[in-house]
Amino acid sequence: MLANFQDQFLSLTFGGLSLGFIYVLIALGYTMVYGVLRMINFANSEVFMYGTFATVVIIRDLFGFTQQSEPATGFRLFYILLICLAGSMFLSGVLSIFLELVAYRRLRNRGSNKLAPLISAIGMSIVLAEFMRILTDSRYVGSPRVMEKSSIATIFGANLRLDNVIVIVCGLVLYLVLQQFVKKTRLGKAIRAVSMNEDSAKLMGVNLNFVVSGTFLVGGLMTGAAGFFYTLKYENTSFSIGFELGIAAFTAAILGGIGNIKGAFYGGISLGLVETYASFFLGTQWKAVTVFLILVVVLYFRPNGVFGEAITQTRA
Amino acid sequence: MSESVLRLENVTMQFGGLVALNDVSFEIKKQEILGLIGPNGAGKTTVFNVITGVYQVTKGDIKFLGKSLKGQKRYKITYGGIARTFQNIRLWGEMTALENVITATDTHKKSGLLSGLFGLPISRKEEKRDKARAQEILDFIGIGEYADRLAKNLPYGVQRRLEIARALGTNPKLLLLDEPAAGFNPAEKVELAKTIRKIRDAGYTVLLIEHDMSLVMGVSDRVVVIDFGQKIADDLPAKVQNDKRVVEAYLGVPDDAS
Amino acid sequence: MFNLRDFGASIWERSDRKMRVLIALSAIAVAAMLPFLGGTFLNTPVADYGSVLVFPVAIFAIMALGLNIVIGKSGLLDLGYVAFFAIGAYTMGLLGTKTSLNTWEILPIGIAMAMFAGLILGVPALRLRGDYLAIITLGFGEIVRITALNLNAIGGANGIIGIPTPPTIFGLEYTFDNHRLYFWTFLIIILLTIWMIRRLSVRRGGRAWESIRQDEDAAELMGVPTFKYKIWAFVLGASVGGAAGVLYASKTLFISPDNFTLQVSILILACVIFGGMGNIWGVILGAVILGYLPDRIRFLSDARLLVFGIVLVLMMNLRPDGILPRKKREKALPAKDSK
Repeated sequence: MLANFQDQFLSLTFGGLSLGFIYVLIALGYTMVYGVLRMINFANSEVFMYGTFATVVIIRDLFGFTQQSEPATGFRLFYILLICLAGSMFLSGVLSIFLELVAYRRLRNRGSNKLAPLISAIGMSIVLAEFMRILTDSRYVGSPRVMEKSSIATIFGANLRLDNVIVIVCGLVLYLVLQQFVKKTRLGKAIRAVSMNEDSAKLMGVNLNFVVSGTFLVGGLMTGAAGFFYTLKYENTSFSIGFELGIAAFTAAILGGIGNIKGAFYGGISLGLVETYASFFLGTQWKAVTVFLILVVVLYFRPNGVFGEAITQTRA
Repeated sequence: MSESVLRLENVTMQFGGLVALNDVSFEIKKQEILGLIGPNGAGKTTVFNVITGVYQVTKGDIKFLGKSLKGQKRYKITYGGIARTFQNIRLWGEMTALENVITATDTHKKSGLLSGLFGLPISRKEEKRDKARAQEILDFIGIGEYADRLAKNLPYGVQRRLEIARALGTNPKLLLLDEPAAGFNPAEKVELAKTIRKIRDAGYTVLLIEHDMSLVMGVSDRVVVIDFGQKIADDLPAKVQNDKRVVEAYLGVPDDAS
Repeated sequence: MFNLRDFGASIWERSDRKMRVLIALSAIAVAAMLPFLGGTFLNTPVADYGSVLVFPVAIFAIMALGLNIVIGKSGLLDLGYVAFFAIGAYTMGLLGTKTSLNTWEILPIGIAMAMFAGLILGVPALRLRGDYLAIITLGFGEIVRITALNLNAIGGANGIIGIPTPPTIFGLEYTFDNHRLYFWTFLIIILLTIWMIRRLSVRRGGRAWESIRQDEDAAELMGVPTFKYKIWAFVLGASVGGAAGVLYASKTLFISPDNFTLQVSILILACVIFGGMGNIWGVILGAVILGYLPDRIRFLSDARLLVFGIVLVLMMNLRPDGILPRKKREKALPAKDSK
């Protein structure tokens, strides 16, 4: 088995990395909101799930692909993928803002007990998942193939699949863009200010509701992108996918230190890799158990995650 | 003569690159009221936090009745005899004033969950005794009539006093007061000064952080001044008031002509 | 606004001891009569009223009471409470089919197993901050389910069949459809649980939990050994969940990992929050409503859970403290103070 592992190590690593970037993007959704509101946005997993469906719908209904269609190539492929990415991000972003307005804003403004927003989030999560379940008749929904999944290159005998490359490259770009956004833009700076100290940010004239909506939007956009990548990579989705991936991504966010953007990055990547390697040895049925055991062990030794909390790294 | 209750020995506290306390040493003697003052952000509350075990000191040591507090659990430190109040009031709002104090007296109880479950006599006896004691403390602080009111519904001034009563409930040898007069009007401050002296006269030792100079200078036996995490004075109130470095720390050094 | 909780409490406080015994006894009598209300509009479209009363209603009530110790009393968010229920049920399933022990002998073993699991989970998890506790407990619940699913030694995906009913006592025979007898048995367990919680919540233990729930840091700095009390809350909550599991297995006679999904944890949590965290009567009311309602509204068939989710969101936004919130009232000031 070990020899086998060595043979497959590189292709496992590529697969793990692309899964890792999907985790990174969902984890960013959790982390952004947590950094600002100190609250677990439980329904972020469903925001992701809707993102995966957006891509399916665009491929299937907008571009009319069927299971028999020829995969697209060249510029047409690039164009289609771009539309899918934009569509998923848009839907998830809007859904995320909507979520905050409906489920959290009222509770936040009246400063109720700590658990109420969480239960409200769980409720929203049930509503969104159930709505999709009824819509899809509890079935898995396949996505027609838009691109050839043959390997584009071979490195040391490992096949480099185009979809994995796209996920990894785009994931990295999105992550870097987000980092610059938080550092450089007005909204990004306001988000950082609120996450450091809500009261003084308010005193300095930051419009809190606006910043919170902005945070949910940005988190939703990242999570939606993850939805697109997921559909591209696995070519099917279902109403329950949010729960499965959401838990893992949240674990990733905590591993790195929730509220910390860099933490989401490293947490997501390492979780994707470890999960892929572990599945190889133990079989996929123990995947979730491995993930949680890692989480427990990490938190036991580093209660604030590997990189600690807080959205900024520039704290004294 | 008068023995030392608490001694800070070269305490340094660092948060990453920020040095909050730098080589601070002072001691508090039995039945003394020691005022701890300094400009905003000088590190006063940090002193409280290292004493009560909220932070572990980076360097140096803190000795309470001759024993090091290093590595002790926070509730054990309270059990050992140090109690504090909070600058931003942190009462248990949905308990009555009396319950707030009784919960603090529970520190020294022998009976726990199981003796409560089976209604053992020891539990019943202790309960009765502590209820009476808690009421005594409330009366002593002068807020006895509010015993049955929920803490969150009490007037601001009463809440501040209840913080003190709750800390006394743990039966401390050393009482740490963190800005007990914040938000008080002059009349209330005079009342508070009386209460603090009364507490000392009842045998307690008090470490007081306070912004209000007249209160600190009026009530303290000795005053320690810190600025930028360093001790810059440690003397009788009258002498500290005229100390050049203290005046500079508060008014700013007139050398910013660059 | 009219407050049902305060209304009830003021009647209780005005009554003397004799009156209180009378109130308590009549309440128990009313509860014990519930199974006789079958055949009325209370019947649910598919399931028999009597059986709904046993499961989910009574089982939910026991579990909600147990979870209330953890979340309502000490404020610890446990999203994996189903794990303790599963451990109790599997203890019953395995010992019941493989040994000659009967339900009453297995009950304490099941409780002990659940408490042990609570301790194992609690020691690392309760050192962490509240939000992390939620995710760790959620993970624990999933680990228990996945382990049951993948271990063929304990039935794997097929679960365990042929679990024995409790043995006959006082000539009363527990048959599969003797719902009344099961209901009364569960009622006794509910009453015992209520008694335990009430005894624990007065005096030192109750105050310690209360202070931890409201401000844990302040509690610790006032000398409350917070870690110890959190472990206690966790372990006691687990014990109740384990008991519910043993009884459940001994009633349905068949268990499989599908009975112990995250949905169960969330449903029980919803009972606690919906009814009114920290208030025993609210929690029971929550369990009754949420246990009964989905079966009663089965005509909504597919949209059942959807409606449930909407109700949760609305409820949290309109009445975040539940239907019967915990005591917020103050005692009236003594007469001498009022002029």
